[in-house]
Amino acid sequence: MGLADLFNLLASAVLLAGIYTAMSIGMTVIYGVMKMVNLAHAGFMMLGAYFAYELSQRTPIDPLLAAVLAVPLFFLLGIATYWSMVRRVPVADVPTLPSLLLLFGLWLVLQNIGYAIWGADDRSILTPLTMATFRFAGITIPIIRLIVFGIALLSLVSLHVFLTRSWFGRAVRALTQNREAGQLVGIDTQRTAMLTFGLGIAFTGLAGALLATLYSFTPDFGGSFMLRSFVIIVLGGLESFSGVAIGAVIVALIETFSILVVPASYQLAISFILLVVALLVLPGGIEGLLQGRRRLR
Amino acid sequence: MKAVLSSPAANRLPVMMAGLALASLLIAPLVGLPSNVIRLLLVTLLWVATSLAWNLLGGVAGQVSFGFAVFYGLGAYTAAFAINAGVNPYLAFVVGGLVATLGSVLIGIPTFRLRGPYFAIATIGVNEAVRIVMSNLEITGGASGYRLMMIGRFSQVEHYYTALALAALAFLASWYLMRSPFGLALRAVREDEDAAADVGVHPFHCKLAVHALSAFLTGMAGGAFVRYTAYIHPDGVFSFATSISILLMSVIGGLGTLLGPVIGAIVYSIVQEEMVVNFPQFHLLLYGTLLILIVLFEPGGLVGLARRIARGVDGRMRRGLPLGKVGS
Repeated sequence: MGLADLFNLLASAVLLAGIYTAMSIGMTVIYGVMKMVNLAHAGFMMLGAYFAYELSQRTPIDPLLAAVLAVPLFFLLGIATYWSMVRRVPVADVPTLPSLLLLFGLWLVLQNIGYAIWGADDRSILTPLTMATFRFAGITIPIIRLIVFGIALLSLVSLHVFLTRSWFGRAVRALTQNREAGQLVGIDTQRTAMLTFGLGIAFTGLAGALLATLYSFTPDFGGSFMLRSFVIIVLGGLESFSGVAIGAVIVALIETFSILVVPASYQLAISFILLVVALLVLPGGIEGLLQGRRRLR
Repeated sequence: MKAVLSSPAANRLPVMMAGLALASLLIAPLVGLPSNVIRLLLVTLLWVATSLAWNLLGGVAGQVSFGFAVFYGLGAYTAAFAINAGVNPYLAFVVGGLVATLGSVLIGIPTFRLRGPYFAIATIGVNEAVRIVMSNLEITGGASGYRLMMIGRFSQVEHYYTALALAALAFLASWYLMRSPFGLALRAVREDEDAAADVGVHPFHCKLAVHALSAFLTGMAGGAFVRYTAYIHPDGVFSFATSISILLMSVIGGLGTLLGPVIGAIVYSIVQEEMVVNFPQFHLLLYGTLLILIVLFEPGGLVGLARRIARGVDGRMRRGLPLGKVGS
């Protein structure tokens, strides 16, 4: 493998890491505040993808703009979901089974509503930029990936500013660190959780719409991305934003470079194996890592 | 409340019902039911066996697994290979069960290091990884599937009794296990792993053991399934949808109960029969909705609902109230 190939792979890994970060951040904020693993993540990503698809098909709106427009819509969708269902299941310091089953059921429902509306055909979004590439010092980069990377990065930065500079952001961070202490100092947990869920879903919808400009999709879309998100937030320590970025880079690098050693048909299995491995390299599960205890049984 | 439910009278009821059900199922093929009905009964019985097996791990021990298609598939493929190699079919089922057991140990040793919900998520990964590997392997026939050579005459009744025997075995095993000290240990693990460990239960060993038992029964059911259909392909038996179905039956019926998985499997099979023909895409929609409703309103599943209604009726009758609005 030549040096140019290496740089090409590196560049695509970095671009992949950007979108992976954006798709995992929604899961992280929800996990942080509510200690729930959002198994409906894939369903909302799929809806995001079809939202961008429909909007770009029916109106002259550019799919990438449609992706940005998905943010407010999915924020409201997340709040509605929280209000109607999620707030009724018990929360604890670790994910509870009812929450897991509820969100899983919601995934099934969303997925099949997708099948009912759009059928099982593969769809893809073509933008004027889909085929365009950008060459620089022997590295070829598809422009669409660069733009998607840019949008993902921009949304992450704004989220970061939002969470560090606003009172709501403070409440989110406080609840992430310690739920009970947060309640003691007077944070409205119900309201914060609702807004966080909305925020998480907003990012999920955005990520789904962005991914739809890169990959083809069916109502099944999102399952493997959801598991990747989970790998990423586990690698990143579940609740930290910088951790998510690091996790995303690790996963993107492994996936990109595994092409060299693993047959293409086994590619998909890598993220699933990675999920199990990521969960396991943290002895005692995720709690062990959270509390900095590396205890071997 | 708990004392009433575990009283001898309450425990005898399911056993009596099971006896009655077994008797009627034994004579069912002899009274000239159409073969289509027998087929539905057969499929239902296989699901009953699988769902009871899943319930031992997911319901009694509280370790919800999204990965039982792995054992179903391993059992089915092993049995298919064995039968094609000329092994006695019943022996082939056992071999299928044993291979599934081996798989369960290999999967369980790493994944049971994880606590409940994290174990559940890891099993999603295991299931998908296994499915992809199996779809790509040469010996499974890949995406085109694997066909069973038919030796001798096809006898639906024989298949039916095989399925009945498996369901009865799973039911007896569940019944026995739930009353045994081991069952108590599993419940302790479900309620609080650390507390269980403090009173001398080894959670890891308990989970591995019940995982192995569940996998064995599931693998045998997979074997019986392939002998009946004579054709399997990896995206069918190893699919995530199979895992979901197995999980849903117990949750719908009532997690951790003896009758719940049975009722869940019956409901599932009948709904499947009606829905798949008419609305192939919608059965998962129905199950998803059911799952949401059950989690939100009746975590005890159909069995919990029945108990609640029974309590309501009972209470009203005792207080001499009219039987109008039932429930709480």
